[in-house]
Amino acid sequence: MSGTSAATKTAGITEIHHDEHHDHGEHSFWRTYIFSTDHKIIGIQYGFVGLAFLFFGFCLIAMMRWSMAYEGAPIPFVGPLLESLLGSGVAPGGVMSAQLYNVFGAMHGTIMVFMGIVPAAFAAFGNYVVPLQIGAIDMAFPRINMASFWSFFIGCVVMSVSFFIPGGAAQAGWTSYSPLATVIPTDGQTYWLIGMVLLITSSLLGAVNFLVTIINLRAPGMTWLRMPFFVWAQFITAFLLLLAFPPLEAAGILQLMDRVLETSFFLPTGLVVNGADVDVSGGGSPLLWQHLFWFLAHPEVYVLILPAMGIVAEVLANNTRKPLWGYKYLVGSVVVLGFLAFIVWAHHMYMTGMGTVISAFFQTTTLLISVPSVIILTCLLISLWGGSIRFNTPMLFALAFLPMFGIGGLTGLPLGFNFSDVALHDSYYVIAHFHYVVAPGTIFGIFAGVYYWYPKMTGRMMSEFWGRVHFWSSLIFMNLIFMPMFAQGMAGMSRRMSDGGATYSLSNPDNADVGGALSDTIMGLNVSISAAAWAMLLAQLPFIFNVFWSIKYGKKVESDNPWQATTLEWETPTPPPHGNFIKEIKVYRDPYEYSVPGASEDFSPQAQPSK
Amino acid sequence: MEIPYTVKARPDTGLYNGKLGLWLFLASEVMLFGALFSSYVLLRVGAADGTWSMGLMDIVVGAGNTMVLIASSMFVVLAWAQLKLGNLSGPWLSPRSWGYIQWKWATVACAVLFLVVKWGYEWPSKFVHYDVWFKDSAVLHNKVEEGYHYDGEVHKDELWDEEKDKKFSLARLYLEKEIYVERFFKTYSEEEGGSHTAFNKAWDTGSLALSGHINGYEEAQINVEVTGWKSDSGVSESEADKILVGLGVSGEKGEAKQLRSQGGLLKEKVGYEVAKRAEYQLTKAGFSVALSVVGYESVESHPYFWRTGRINEDIGGKPRVKSILFALDDSHHEKDGETHHKEITINTSDVKRLNSYEPKHSTFFGIYYTITGLHAAHVFGGIIVMLYNLLPIGLATWHRDREQYANRIECFGLFWHFVDLVWIFLFPILYIL
Repeated sequence: MSGTSAATKTAGITEIHHDEHHDHGEHSFWRTYIFSTDHKIIGIQYGFVGLAFLFFGFCLIAMMRWSMAYEGAPIPFVGPLLESLLGSGVAPGGVMSAQLYNVFGAMHGTIMVFMGIVPAAFAAFGNYVVPLQIGAIDMAFPRINMASFWSFFIGCVVMSVSFFIPGGAAQAGWTSYSPLATVIPTDGQTYWLIGMVLLITSSLLGAVNFLVTIINLRAPGMTWLRMPFFVWAQFITAFLLLLAFPPLEAAGILQLMDRVLETSFFLPTGLVVNGADVDVSGGGSPLLWQHLFWFLAHPEVYVLILPAMGIVAEVLANNTRKPLWGYKYLVGSVVVLGFLAFIVWAHHMYMTGMGTVISAFFQTTTLLISVPSVIILTCLLISLWGGSIRFNTPMLFALAFLPMFGIGGLTGLPLGFNFSDVALHDSYYVIAHFHYVVAPGTIFGIFAGVYYWYPKMTGRMMSEFWGRVHFWSSLIFMNLIFMPMFAQGMAGMSRRMSDGGATYSLSNPDNADVGGALSDTIMGLNVSISAAAWAMLLAQLPFIFNVFWSIKYGKKVESDNPWQATTLEWETPTPPPHGNFIKEIKVYRDPYEYSVPGASEDFSPQAQPSK
Repeated sequence: MEIPYTVKARPDTGLYNGKLGLWLFLASEVMLFGALFSSYVLLRVGAADGTWSMGLMDIVVGAGNTMVLIASSMFVVLAWAQLKLGNLSGPWLSPRSWGYIQWKWATVACAVLFLVVKWGYEWPSKFVHYDVWFKDSAVLHNKVEEGYHYDGEVHKDELWDEEKDKKFSLARLYLEKEIYVERFFKTYSEEEGGSHTAFNKAWDTGSLALSGHINGYEEAQINVEVTGWKSDSGVSESEADKILVGLGVSGEKGEAKQLRSQGGLLKEKVGYEVAKRAEYQLTKAGFSVALSVVGYESVESHPYFWRTGRINEDIGGKPRVKSILFALDDSHHEKDGETHHKEITINTSDVKRLNSYEPKHSTFFGIYYTITGLHAAHVFGGIIVMLYNLLPIGLATWHRDREQYANRIECFGLFWHFVDLVWIFLFPILYIL
């Protein structure tokens, strides 16, 4: 939108300007719902695509879990489908080959992180809620916002298409380490790199948008320390994306050049592949890729968790009917977390032969960064004390987040120390640790956000009954999936084994006198974990049903503020129109003025003047 | 309602949205180029002796390009200043009274000149320049002797190595002094033996490359022979015969059929492209094909982007290129009253590796092309934006809202200064160090 300058020279130009201004209600279907610049539509677009890919990524691992539990057996229901779609080379007779396992493994990670959580937690909720919560009428750059979504979408298309090319999709892990990622003979690896460049571009555009919106478009009276914690979380997340993604973009370009132009950025001298010397100049460094990758990928994990922490904070404050405890500590911690996130990355590289000095540095910073994380969790926990707790579905997910994230965070400690990481690196312990943080951590935060903000987006409540079914089944099965993995990891089971570790187990006669071979108990856990995973998949169906069914048949809200919340997004009509607020917004209060002594209600909205 | 602070600055931050957004974008760009510079440092520090190219860049051209970009940065500020003063345009012929439009076109001209120099001269001149590594140190030594031996006066102090009390061939001494030590070897102290120690080692093991241009080569003349036909390839007999007719077999009855059933020579002494295309079409049609080299033809040409596989590609047991005529760098040769580079003939069978100065050549060139390429892409993007702002489509905004237009130009100026700053780091690091 341009300025309101009146003094224009030619009538023609003025006219165009007017049309642009007044035409908002008369856009075609395509401009209103598909190529929209409205942050709410874009948020919903990100949400649908993100949740769809979360489900798809889960389906990939569900198929992989069959291979781990029953290696060599055809996958029921989907086996024949796999064979017809992907060919008998990778899925002979509906059995998952090791190569296909690697493809699914690499893509599961990539899809969940970049096409699932980042769009769903950061972009979807961020786009929809942040402008509303700061009292803005839209994001600072609506057209860049649209560009960001479509760049993301095209990146998703490229990634999805890569499954069907000869050779298959990327299969060198979501970490795409060279030299394997460079020499592996499938074009899927190249598609992955191109897809990543598009996804990174989308995130960079989005990050700039969020930062300018939060800095410059806060409504009068919305000072920094009156912003809801969700906005702070998104603010820091945007900084992490802005500054951490470019090195991965650079690395992606370099790896693309290694693959396409046969350079040797990451290929060492003297590399031999399949018995033959590789015809490249050599002189490169595989470690360089690891440094560049993890320089992004560590801040990336904070990108994954911070929006969820923000959502949980909102839901907790609302459903305890009291302010968050330690708002200033929360803000300080999240800012410090943002800074520290950039100097811990090599704790993913302890096994690369680094010297003791560097190792000591990263161990120290890694331990330091646990401090703000714990402060945030503690503040959220203490916020429950003395609260008048309402146990609705969003609150259940927000409550469960706390111990689940606690487990995830605490189990990270042995990984942060070099001496213990030696035993646990690349084992199932690591898988359990990070899944506890993202799965019953972030994903529960996302669920909480969906149930919480659904009434504002649609004007209807989601079914409480099915919400509780979804919650309890998800919680139970999540723990049944990931808790046993700690035991498997400590017993020495490595990651990324398509046979679930059978080669290294006692059931393999070659291992009869090998100490540390995997016991039958440990191997048996593969079956129970897989069963829990499939049950978890089924448990999502009521949620999917609930989301769509409630649009038409959910209980209609009786007010614009069904949760009786204090933050500004509840001051709009339901659903908010283009332009969001029908009256001018001024902010008079802190974000969580619940149960203010002497007030007539147990909540005092931010836009309500203090007496 | 309008989005606030798109044109006017927000009082507490002092920034309008676009400017804040641009600074944040520049922060991400710093990280992007920073990652590439860090990669450069890591790769260079880790490079084995003799593998990091130095001194191959034309510093004069680079310095000239640097001046061009610095000038463009000045012009972009002058353009913006004129704009803020309200002078959209001035008379072209008196630069003292130039307005925004003139100074901006001057900026565009500088940017275009920069790209023309880089993409029109610097990069292409590298693509025709080659390094050749030999399989055997004896071949290397012979070729150096052949290429760099001087007829002419020889001075004793140039020939005699005081330390080893030994006579070196003038050719090798010349090579040692002029070309390799400066270009490829780190400078060691005298106690460590100087760079010459590393050079001597490379000389003895034969791992030095010779640099120069390809002036010509001997390329294979190939016979294409049909050796059989399988009927189970999904192609019918008549279709297969049609393919043969398409490849030049006479359409007269029986000739194609005879060739298909009994085999025979299809093409004689054709070039590589023709032979390979025929082979592809024949194999697709179910034929089995044998290519054989029956002779070599001398070609005069200065090819681009050749690699080892281009010359030693196996065709029926023989290489695609038998030998190359190689004009050696820094060798001088009088011929017909003119000074040329001395040409030597290098047989493919002696070549361990051949590569033009392209990204694949070495990690130095890889990172060089990547960083300068990404930088040039930013210059190119800048040109597009400048053109948009100068042509009627963008200028319309000036007529609608002067302040908004001036803001756009200010933001562009910030971006342009960043692009210039990246080059100012790039130039000494890649060209001088």
